[in-house]
Amino acid sequence: MACGCEVRIAGLDEASAFRLAQQAIEEVRRIENKYSRYRADSIVGRINAAAGDAPVQCDGETVSLMDYADALHASSDGLFDITSGVLRRAWDFRRARLPSVADVDAARALVGWQHVERDGRHVRLSRAGMEIDFGGFGKEYAADRAATLLIDAGCRHGFVNLGGDLRAFGPQPDGSAWRFGIQHPRQADATVASLDVVHGGLATSGDYERYFELDGVRYCHILDPRTGWPVRYWQSITVLAPLAIAAGSLSTIAMLKQAAAGDFLARSGAAWLAVGPRGEVVSSDGVGDDPAAGTVE
Amino acid sequence: MLKNPSTGAAVLVAALALPGVVPAARAEAAPDSAQIGFKYLNYRDSQPGLKRVSVDAPSVSWLLPVAGSWSLAGSYTLDSVSGASPRWHSSISSASRMSDFRRAADLRVTKYLARSTFSFGTAYSTEHDYRSNSYSLQATFSSDDNNTTWAVGFGRALDRIDPVNGIVADEQKRTTDFMLGVTQVLTPNDIVQANLTVARGRGYYSDPYKQVDQRPRERNQSALMLRWNHHFDGLGASLRTSYRYYDDSFDVQAHTTSAEWVQPLPRGWTIAPSIRYHTQSAARFYYDPVYDPLLGEPFPPGYLANPAGFYSADHRLSAFGALTLGIKVSKAIDKNWNADLRYEIYEQRGSWRIGGTGSPGLAPFRARFMQVGVTHKF
Repeated sequence: MACGCEVRIAGLDEASAFRLAQQAIEEVRRIENKYSRYRADSIVGRINAAAGDAPVQCDGETVSLMDYADALHASSDGLFDITSGVLRRAWDFRRARLPSVADVDAARALVGWQHVERDGRHVRLSRAGMEIDFGGFGKEYAADRAATLLIDAGCRHGFVNLGGDLRAFGPQPDGSAWRFGIQHPRQADATVASLDVVHGGLATSGDYERYFELDGVRYCHILDPRTGWPVRYWQSITVLAPLAIAAGSLSTIAMLKQAAAGDFLARSGAAWLAVGPRGEVVSSDGVGDDPAAGTVE
Repeated sequence: MLKNPSTGAAVLVAALALPGVVPAARAEAAPDSAQIGFKYLNYRDSQPGLKRVSVDAPSVSWLLPVAGSWSLAGSYTLDSVSGASPRWHSSISSASRMSDFRRAADLRVTKYLARSTFSFGTAYSTEHDYRSNSYSLQATFSSDDNNTTWAVGFGRALDRIDPVNGIVADEQKRTTDFMLGVTQVLTPNDIVQANLTVARGRGYYSDPYKQVDQRPRERNQSALMLRWNHHFDGLGASLRTSYRYYDDSFDVQAHTTSAEWVQPLPRGWTIAPSIRYHTQSAARFYYDPVYDPLLGEPFPPGYLANPAGFYSADHRLSAFGALTLGIKVSKAIDKNWNADLRYEIYEQRGSWRIGGTGSPGLAPFRARFMQVGVTHKF
């Protein structure tokens, strides 16, 4: 994965910890390879290559992820849509220029979960040129799978951190929580807060991960499938939930909800911390009010 | 909230349905902390006009994780039993007082692997006239998604009976049992389980302290247990239900069904009311409280013609229905301390039988069971 990945296991002897960490990393690689949209031989590559053509038969794990994508689409009023990756064809973040209306419209015509036909294990993208992409939650899914593998193997202290989206499965051996700094969305070498996590998933979505600025306006990589344009409101949203995949999906949906995110998060049952349009930090009760917040590392 | 799909809580529910993102719902992982528990049990039973047996039983139990993937668990119980020796038919006055101590201990070692567990257990129990030793082996295997777990078990027990009245000496009873079970997670909120147990026993089954108690020297038993646990998200509560069918070569057939509602409350309290109903047919050699016209109590009619036949007046072998009402209250005092109190009342009557005629002429049998305990985690 194109990110910093860390598997931390404590409370075991070095040889066992090393062997188990290898297994966890192997599981992350398995998911990366299986669901890479860059690989023609991956299940995602094959579904996309067959868009507008024949249905592709999927295995049980892929069907489960499709079910999850369906639930996300329904829970987000259509904002979280795994077919929206084609909008990247219109937006080139390296060249820092706005796309033409025609380019955005052409890409938008290929977006729509309702155009994904599912029949049991068979999946068919009904429009030629459509694509699905599990990138919106694949990394978090991998973190949960790897952590579960470690829990099942008896690990009781540690976490799997895939580029800042992580799943913790038990405290440090002395019983204290793991402390994770939350990236400052405007200063690459600073954090806005640090959160204590013992069990569960922590994930952040932000407008700073991939973006360009033009005439003082930031255009980030989180694209609203309804308009085809980047969202503009929150600088970042961090969610703490029982699973990394739930934390990641909630933070992404909240970014997509823009100004309506507060109500959505409040009703999600998760703990959260958000950096608002002017850099102000807002959070659910009990999150982020710790003295180490704002520490520059 | 969960019924409305357009809220964030639905995201977590959907995520929990993914394969392999949470460990097995049945916590088949090795325990991560040591635990010690003390319990004190008081049991009394009675029939109208007669207080019968009273049992006081303090016990200690402990659980120790070892090297990450092993656990060692054990318990030790000291019973003191006193009272009138159990009278069978309520019409038979039973004069003898009795008191006895029972000591029981067990030990179990379990190895936890990624998708399986293996355990070996041994137990012994001793009274002045009775000793029991047993061992058991059990293994569980889970599917890749941890939603299905199969269990197999094997056990052997040897009981030695040496009654003080010398009616028999150095008698024994050997039992072998096999267990096969499957547990299936249906949804994040529903777990079902089926367990089949068969046991084959040979040896001395009679009660040496009863004048007329002669039972077959073999007893084969089978039981099918079905369980369904459902969690209610809105209330945060769980309903645990079970049904058990039992059948043995004494011709006892029984049906037992139970339900328990486990309701967590604020401030670490949990309250769990429960109800259980049991109905059974009589053993074929159970005799009603009607006695031989010549010999009188406690001899059944026709005893003289067949003194070597099978006879028992044990109310546990009669046809009856029984109801148990219970409540358990527990309180998590802090992260490491837990206290609980359990109280159950049991009543058994011939007329409460469903699915057949209950044995006539027996006074209702009542028992109450109270247990207090504390557990501490390290």
